[in-house]
Amino acid sequence: MTTRSAPAPAAGAPAPDGPPQRPSRVTARDLARAGATRRRRSATARLWAGAVCALLVIVPVALADLLPIPGANEQHLDQRRLAPLVDGHLFGTDQLGRDLLARVLHGGQVSLTIGLLAVVVSGIIGILAGAAAGYFGGWVDALVSRLLEAQMSLPLLMMLLLVVALFGPSVPVITFVIAIAQWPEVARLTRSLVLVEREKPYVDAARVLGLRRLGVLVRHVLPNVAQRATLVVLLLLAQAVLLESALSYLGAGPERPAATWGRIIADGQDYITTSWWLVTLPGLCIVLLVVGVNLLGDGLRDRTRRRRPARKEAVA
Amino acid sequence: MTHPRAPRLSRRGLLRLGAAAAGAAVLPSLGACAGPTGGPSPGTLVLALNRSLVSLDNKLNQFDAAVTVQRAVRQALTRIGPELTPEPVLADRFELTAPTEWTVRLREGVRYSDGSPVTPGDVATALEMYRQVSGSFLATFFPEWPRVEPVDDRTFLMVTERPLPVLDYLMANILITPAAANAPEELQSGIGSGPYTVTAANRGTGTYTLRRNDAYWGPAPAVRTVDVRFLPEESSRVVSLRSGEVDVIDTISPDSAEQLAGLPEVEMESVPGTRINQLFYNFRKPPDHPLSDVRVREALSYAVDGRRLVEDVLVGSVTPADGVVASSLSGAVSTGEYVHDPRRAREMLAAAGIGAGDLNLTLIWETGEFASDTTVMEAVLQMLREVGVGVTLRQFEPGGDIPLWRQGRGGDWDVIGNGFATPTGVAITSLQGMYGGTAEREETRDTYHGYVVPEVTDLLDRAYAEVDAEARQALVAEAQHAVWRTWPCMWAFVPNSVLARRRRVRGLALETTNCYDLAAVRLDG
Repeated sequence: MTTRSAPAPAAGAPAPDGPPQRPSRVTARDLARAGATRRRRSATARLWAGAVCALLVIVPVALADLLPIPGANEQHLDQRRLAPLVDGHLFGTDQLGRDLLARVLHGGQVSLTIGLLAVVVSGIIGILAGAAAGYFGGWVDALVSRLLEAQMSLPLLMMLLLVVALFGPSVPVITFVIAIAQWPEVARLTRSLVLVEREKPYVDAARVLGLRRLGVLVRHVLPNVAQRATLVVLLLLAQAVLLESALSYLGAGPERPAATWGRIIADGQDYITTSWWLVTLPGLCIVLLVVGVNLLGDGLRDRTRRRRPARKEAVA
Repeated sequence: MTHPRAPRLSRRGLLRLGAAAAGAAVLPSLGACAGPTGGPSPGTLVLALNRSLVSLDNKLNQFDAAVTVQRAVRQALTRIGPELTPEPVLADRFELTAPTEWTVRLREGVRYSDGSPVTPGDVATALEMYRQVSGSFLATFFPEWPRVEPVDDRTFLMVTERPLPVLDYLMANILITPAAANAPEELQSGIGSGPYTVTAANRGTGTYTLRRNDAYWGPAPAVRTVDVRFLPEESSRVVSLRSGEVDVIDTISPDSAEQLAGLPEVEMESVPGTRINQLFYNFRKPPDHPLSDVRVREALSYAVDGRRLVEDVLVGSVTPADGVVASSLSGAVSTGEYVHDPRRAREMLAAAGIGAGDLNLTLIWETGEFASDTTVMEAVLQMLREVGVGVTLRQFEPGGDIPLWRQGRGGDWDVIGNGFATPTGVAITSLQGMYGGTAEREETRDTYHGYVVPEVTDLLDRAYAEVDAEARQALVAEAQHAVWRTWPCMWAFVPNSVLARRRRVRGLALETTNCYDLAAVRLDG
């Protein structure tokens, strides 16, 4: 059996300035086509695509008050349902002559604010509850786990509609109900991560050194699981925005005339055959944001997975 | 010797190929989803209503859309015809024989779907049941309930304490049911004397199936089966009609009418309506509240640009009200017009001690109360803000607790978007229903948003008791002017009754009261 050196420099020929490389039949083309390389490229592409999609929506929404567009509730009854790009309205106008771009951007502010607040609240609740359940076990675990199971057995949207109907459709109420709806996912993941972490030697070491259980959890275990748990929280942002839009669409959003994406679509569907833009453009924004955030989350998750062994090597 | 490398199908390639094949297989199915989901079967007429038909009885509520279906199962002694005059149905004689006495004779051979005859006792029981039910919409039209005195098997007298010269109009809304099957509640099932019988009913979903009554006493209806569905979303109704899934839809906004106009398979019907849609003030406010001041109520009406609303939002499908009831009603008079004058509004508000930002109003309405209701309310919000009045909108979904709010028991509000139908076709009953409130009725919250004005009540009482038609009309006109002076509405308009149907539906004659005779409808194919 003979070994032939590969023609490509990356596969065997010494690099001009680098150290000599081990001869190999693996060519640069093989490396480029390898599953690991493809996954890395795919993760990077997802990361960038997600970032671009999300930023395409988030940046204009964040700058809505600075952009030279009319007010979101400024009506011009003589300019009803103008098509996009007519009379300076980039997205056209709605059934009351309001600039649709302004409505979509200000609606995005409401949706994103509710979504961000909801994931922050649900993230905090979920991480704390899940960490406590995973680390302390016993009755704490039983209590948190039964609560999780009980809530996950309820139909989510029905529960949200019921709470909003009981307490009124205000932004704090909607934020709270979405946060309460989402904490189980974070809690479940955090619990499982903490269950793994608590068996590791550094936890025992910390205990031996005299740290209390709560101290070990807060100072050592939580920092080690926070990054992965936070990624799930980021993915929940997309779900929170979708939930807020669904509630608004079903008439349980903030009171009129506040614009929200769900409401713009609900109002626009009466005109779907004559004014397509009333439904399509806000729908496109939701799609861009949700797809963007999901791709971003996936990309970040993959990147995090890849880095972990590298870090171990560095430590060794 | 070298062997040519045989092309290999990699795992990834295989997956791609599989995905492509699956896509090709699924695509035609997806394409089918875009098409009609299946039309009604031949001989079946499908109606899609905008309000849930919670009952085929009308003791509590009587939505316009429900009247057509209710009358197909249960009938009254009379009906309000196309000319807005009473026409005999179960009765062939309905005659005022003394100032407080009507003589009524049931038509020969009228019977229920089970073959039993309609009797004077059924009429007496029906009136008693309508009287006993609490919170009835129709009860507000009756200043007093007549007493039934049988004369023979078919003839009876209807006697009142005071003259009630419009009783033949009022009785058009009292549906007759066999006495033994009647109860002081909205009946969910049971038999009637109409051309159809109920074979399936689901109150929760608002779906009903009617079948031709083979024992009907009149000419047999042409359509064998009628399916009634509840589709609250206007866009869903429009799409269902376009796809052929339903045959008739009602209460269409101008924008939806625009979508349907010109479609070869769809026809529109439009007639002036008898319903009045109002932005009605809450008359249950304490005396020191700004809305208790008639100047403030008048000032706020100047803020509303009615012409813009009619031309731009409602696209000419309505007529601005020039009185306190629909002008199409018999006996309605013009009392004034709603004028848009924001400067005058600001001046009058200032004269009443209300500066910019001092007044904040809560506007409430139920989705579907009238076509384009939400758009109208949002437009009014901006108009009021332009004169310095803050507005909070509160929208109720159908089935919510707005009935409690209407009665002042659910929460505080200032203006309600409300429609008032007048199934009798005469102005006096509409006036009685809206403006005939008394202090006694207000104790049980049975007045129209707390409207209790003794001067108006007195005029209406006198009008009801007046047998002479001319003198009665004079009193009715005076009552309307008296109501107008109290500025009960911020703005009001009379919508056209609009209906869309597939071309295969023939013989459908939409009437001013926004209903039609289902027995006269035919189907082509």
